[in-house]
Amino acid sequence: MTPAPKNFLIGPISPAADGALYQQIVDRIKREIAEGRLPAGAALPSFRQFAEDLLVSVITVKRAYEELERDGIIFRRQGLGTFVAERGHARSRETKLAAARNLLREGFREAAEAGLKPGELAELAGEILKEKNEPPRH
Amino acid sequence: MNHHAIEIRNLVKNYPAFTLGPLDLTVPRGAIYGLIGPNGAGKTTAIDMIFGMGRNDAGTIRVLGLDHRADEVALKRRAAYVSPDLNFQIWGKVGKAIRFVRGFYPGWDEAYGVELMRAFQLDAGAKIVTLSFGAKTKLSLLLALARRPEVLILDEPTTGLDAVSKQQVFGELLKAVEDGERTVLISSHGLSDIERFADHIGMIKNGKLLLEGRTDEIVDRFRLAEFFSTNGTTFENRAGLIILKRNENRWHALLDQNSDAQSWLQTHGATEISLTRLTLEDLFVALAREEAK
Repeated sequence: MTPAPKNFLIGPISPAADGALYQQIVDRIKREIAEGRLPAGAALPSFRQFAEDLLVSVITVKRAYEELERDGIIFRRQGLGTFVAERGHARSRETKLAAARNLLREGFREAAEAGLKPGELAELAGEILKEKNEPPRH
Repeated sequence: MNHHAIEIRNLVKNYPAFTLGPLDLTVPRGAIYGLIGPNGAGKTTAIDMIFGMGRNDAGTIRVLGLDHRADEVALKRRAAYVSPDLNFQIWGKVGKAIRFVRGFYPGWDEAYGVELMRAFQLDAGAKIVTLSFGAKTKLSLLLALARRPEVLILDEPTTGLDAVSKQQVFGELLKAVEDGERTVLISSHGLSDIERFADHIGMIKNGKLLLEGRTDEIVDRFRLAEFFSTNGTTFENRAGLIILKRNENRWHALLDQNSDAQSWLQTHGATEISLTRLTLEDLFVALAREEAK
């Protein structure tokens, strides 16, 4: 277990972005883990410290940590702090995949409602993949 | 010590044209608690009474377990109050006001005071009369924070502050509650700030508590519902449902998910029900509007 870094930074969160603030924190931390910037055993800031850094309420960070803990991505040790779990990397990838699957399902449903046939759907997916063939956002 | 930071029970204050209460408020320790409500709801009246300004007609107020009357001196030593009306001009300069107030509080944290001066960009040599409104607010916050009070009560502290100053103030408030022991009660009309920074909220309307709890849970509990109905059911006056707009068969309503309103709608001819999340501000407006009926 490594100590919490001095200037802990995750992707930006904002009330203007999609989703509740706590959900944004959950997503950003998952991305840090999935992209390997937060290895297993890495320490996260205390939720009060993190609330101060992010300028959000303590409850917001607490809720994000609780959700990550429930998903087995991080774990808490009384008196020591919060750390990325051994299986955190795999788990955040799994949850990302599950979320992607749901979004695709929803997208396909909308497309079907718009009258697209399976062949056209595959074509649409291909188009979007080409669109998205740009470097990932960080 | 398991006392709440602030515990108000059955508080009543009668005025010729307004009655506050019976009011219950519970402010947990370590929280930033946002007290919200329309103008004239009784927020300032309630806050003033905590500090003995105005005598309550009934009920109790306890701060850190201390009775607000019997233990007034101890309470005032451990709790601080910042009002928009505070005026420090008679001390002339910022530094003099700080030295004067510091003398009253043995717990004054000199290093923290200096740090706050820097964070709030206050100059000890500046004349108070020449300070901007925002700088005066920051000075009164500094004078309260540097005492390291266990409970800090702020009445409309961010009114008239620009966005930068507001972030500085909330940053310092988050720092103040960092140890999990200190508590901040803040009354404000800046609802997007409250939604972002407050752990708990209490909403007062007509002198009574309407909602209280964790900010995220309260905001999550309500949805803006849109639905259609052609069977002539009247959806007015149903618990858990406040009708906001109607255009013939199409309805918009505030829906309380802790009630059975949604299943009731489904069994009473409402179709195409869609639910949308609200901000605290949307929720506030919907609840405040209902009062006007």
